[in-house]
Amino acid sequence: MSQIESPDDNIAKDKQEKLLIDVGSTYFKLSNKTNIEQHFRDFNKSILDDLTHKCGQEIERFDKKDIHICSSANGGLSTLIIGVTHSFSLKYATNIAFNSGINIIDTILFQNIEEYSVPSDLIDVVIIVGGINSSSDNFSESLYRYLNNLTYSNVVFVGSELDVPTIKANIENVVVLPNIIDDRLHIVEDSLKAYLTNLYQQDIEGKEDIKDLYNITDNQIFSTPYVVNKTLPFIHTKYPVVNPFVLLDIGGATTDIHYSKDLVDENIVTNNEYDRLVFKKLGVYKSKQSLIFAAKNNEFVYELLMHLKVTENIFEEQSNKATKVLMQLAIFLVLCKISHYKKAYVNLKLLSVNSFVLTGGITKVLTVEEIENIVSFFYKKILNSEHNPVTVLDNNYDIWTLGAEGKERCQ
Amino acid sequence: MKVVTGVVGNDIHVVANRLIDLSLQARGYEVFNLGVNTYLEEFFDAVIETGADILLISSLNGEAEGWGREVPRLKAKYKKLDDIIMMIGGNLVVGTGNAEDIIPRYKGYGFDIVCHQVDLNTGLDSLEEMLKERNLK
Ligand code: B12
Repeated sequence: MSQIESPDDNIAKDKQEKLLIDVGSTYFKLSNKTNIEQHFRDFNKSILDDLTHKCGQEIERFDKKDIHICSSANGGLSTLIIGVTHSFSLKYATNIAFNSGINIIDTILFQNIEEYSVPSDLIDVVIIVGGINSSSDNFSESLYRYLNNLTYSNVVFVGSELDVPTIKANIENVVVLPNIIDDRLHIVEDSLKAYLTNLYQQDIEGKEDIKDLYNITDNQIFSTPYVVNKTLPFIHTKYPVVNPFVLLDIGGATTDIHYSKDLVDENIVTNNEYDRLVFKKLGVYKSKQSLIFAAKNNEFVYELLMHLKVTENIFEEQSNKATKVLMQLAIFLVLCKISHYKKAYVNLKLLSVNSFVLTGGITKVLTVEEIENIVSFFYKKILNSEHNPVTVLDNNYDIWTLGAEGKERCQ
Repeated sequence: MKVVTGVVGNDIHVVANRLIDLSLQARGYEVFNLGVNTYLEEFFDAVIETGADILLISSLNGEAEGWGREVPRLKAKYKKLDDIIMMIGGNLVVGTGNAEDIIPRYKGYGFDIVCHQVDLNTGLDSLEEMLKERNLK
């Protein structure tokens, strides 16, 4: 659907102009056709009060139907995944959860379930998966014992059809969806993805702070990573980004990574061109302490600090310089986590990356040179390589705007 | 009867793999073909997910020995693999080698049937015999 744009048209109440609002854990930003503004959140106020206090006039200019909001402020839903193997059930469910914007608390290999500790936090959704439809008895008593000790709000079974009757008989209120593993051991993502995305919606609607926001919009509030992921196939319309690329969104509380599928050797066959991955507790404000903790445990960090000509004392400082260093550290730690240097859920082929795209608050703090400095330090030190991908800064939040607009057009 | 098959490690020789898939199907097996470039953990994991009875590994390029040595350690980590029949074939050493040395060595790694440079049909016949012996067919 194409729209006719007239540049000097600044009457907001006309059909064409939209106000897009993104609420993060630390900042919120507003974007209209010509302008983007960004504000630090005031945590003594509710999100709506804070928004109307700081940008009331701007919001007033728009009809509720022309305001679109996405949010990552509620921290997202948490999940615990129980599966029977690493290569199939756990890997597939993890992939679907990440791509639905859900945070993974832990993954449990069923055969060893008795050795895992039971998390004390409330889990929003437990995912149980294992076996193709013609396999049976993938689970037993130890599953039900574990679940009895766990506090969770929802539980969904996406494993073998033959196990459904036993699962239903033993787990109260279990939701049963089609198996995510087909008879050729390939992934089938649609129904679990739809279920998790809906749960996320319900969660947003249940959170008072976010629920309030429906006072100013008639449109559904989406999760920010979901919106970003939708944008990636169109990113080249805004920036000279060369595939394959990695997009880093280093936030206040968590870090989100979106990457081209070409960067993994996985046998996962999906329709998505891009996958997503989240590092909880890796952020520069809310999760600052755990970021510093991770940094101190990384054997290369002291060399990195030396390279940046600062000392460990910088962690105690409150200054622009300290924020810059924290962000540089965050980039470095994230690169380590996704490289072959560390065995993780996915290891990306970083030597094939052509561009790094950075979005979020980081684009207001670091320059391209400062980012490239870290990236090339990482390649030299960890990968022993002179490889030098291009850095692209999304400093006008084009990615998010494009996604939010695109989303609105789809509706 | 379910069979998981594939070519182990970094090996990309695909022709045998296709033939094995077809031959097994022609003999009435339900085949789960993981293709070339498959790691040991993926083989074992596929056996768990499918509930397969037989694991048939190929190796053509000379990598087999290294992977074979890994089998006992990795297999011991699984609690549900005790009953599978494990079979390996192709070129199990670098060069021609000597079957009298090779077969016991791979049996030591935990393989029930070892087919070094053995024709596929001969190999699959010995599988049938083993199934009969064990009253599985
Ligand atoms: C074609 C070929 C290639 C192609 C493969 C293309 C492809 N994608 O399939 C290319 C050029 C890529 C290639 C590369 C290499 N190759 Co090459 N290749 C061959 C060649 C010429 C034919 C293989 C073939 O397809 N044969 C036809 C099929 C039907 O026969 P087959 O593979 O032998 O399989 C039969 C049996 O082995 C048996 N079988 C197989 N698995 C099993 C399992 C069981 C349980 C049973 C019962 C039977 C069984 O059944 C099959 C049908 O009867 C062979 C030499 C040869 N003439 O065999 C070398 C050969 C296999 N390659 C070899 C080597 C060394 C390589 C390279 C390492 C070369 C290099 N230095 O780069 C690379 C390795 C790449 C990699 N990562 O794996 C060596 C292996 C030597 C060894 N094991 O000691 C061989 C034997 C050549 C040689 N004489 O040196 N190769």
